[in-house]
Amino acid sequence: MRIELKKIGDVLVSRPAGREAFLAISAYNLKDLKEDEEIEIDFSGVKVIAPSWADEVITKIAEKFKNVKLLNAENETVQATLKTLREYSDLKI
Amino acid sequence: MENSQEKVAYEWIMAEAGKINVVGEFYCSTRDVFEVRFNQMIKNLFEKREEDASIVSAVVGEIANNSFDHNIGNWKDIPGIFFSYFFSEDKVEIILADRGQGIFSTLKKVKSEIENDQEALKVAFTERISGRAPEKRGNGLKFVRENIKNKKMHLNFFSGTARAELNDQMKIEKNAENIEGCLAIITL
Repeated sequence: MRIELKKIGDVLVSRPAGREAFLAISAYNLKDLKEDEEIEIDFSGVKVIAPSWADEVITKIAEKFKNVKLLNAENETVQATLKTLREYSDLKI
Repeated sequence: MENSQEKVAYEWIMAEAGKINVVGEFYCSTRDVFEVRFNQMIKNLFEKREEDASIVSAVVGEIANNSFDHNIGNWKDIPGIFFSYFFSEDKVEIILADRGQGIFSTLKKVKSEIENDQEALKVAFTERISGRAPEKRGNGLKFVRENIKNKKMHLNFFSGTARAELNDQMKIEKNAENIEGCLAIITL
């Protein structure tokens, strides 16, 4: 299953927005998937992402699924956000 | 306060409740209003300083949304935030302010041993802690501190009688005036 974040938006900030995104992804993309299903999170097209948004989406997906891959994550703000989540939110990917 | 934008922000946060400009272009009464202006800022910033735009925008987003997250239902008088920005070829300045509870008041609810505004700012920028425990959160200001340093930005953050100055280092000192809520001035 590939989740293209640009379909949610190119500016991904705030926890309320992240929470809403996670609920939508859970209902439409992740429903009934097994925990070992491969989940690809594609960051292409994302201009701005902040850890509060990402903590509600990326961290939660990574907690729920064992095989999560991050694609096109070279953007500076994506890298900075992932670093913060790994350091302060126990993100393991 | 050094310039007119800072002066307007300072007057907004220090004003008596009945004398605040709540119709001006800098006032964002709700998160929705902020988001509209924030998206316009991002567009302008990508046009002026593309190489810095994404990280600066993420830092601004974290500080502004912290104001809403930690004060919803608890604003002291005026809900919402002050948000202004100025971009030129050689300078970026962004100002955010809220008339909320302030960092000390927010954090002492979850860490009672914090004794004053200066300690509270230090904890907020360095420790894994959230004023909204038991929710698992509290990474925003750590992200801000790290990226202020990495991008060679400058942040003056006031809350209560404390001022944190961040660039490649962080210095926290007592501020002569009491800023109720928070005032953040980002320059690059």
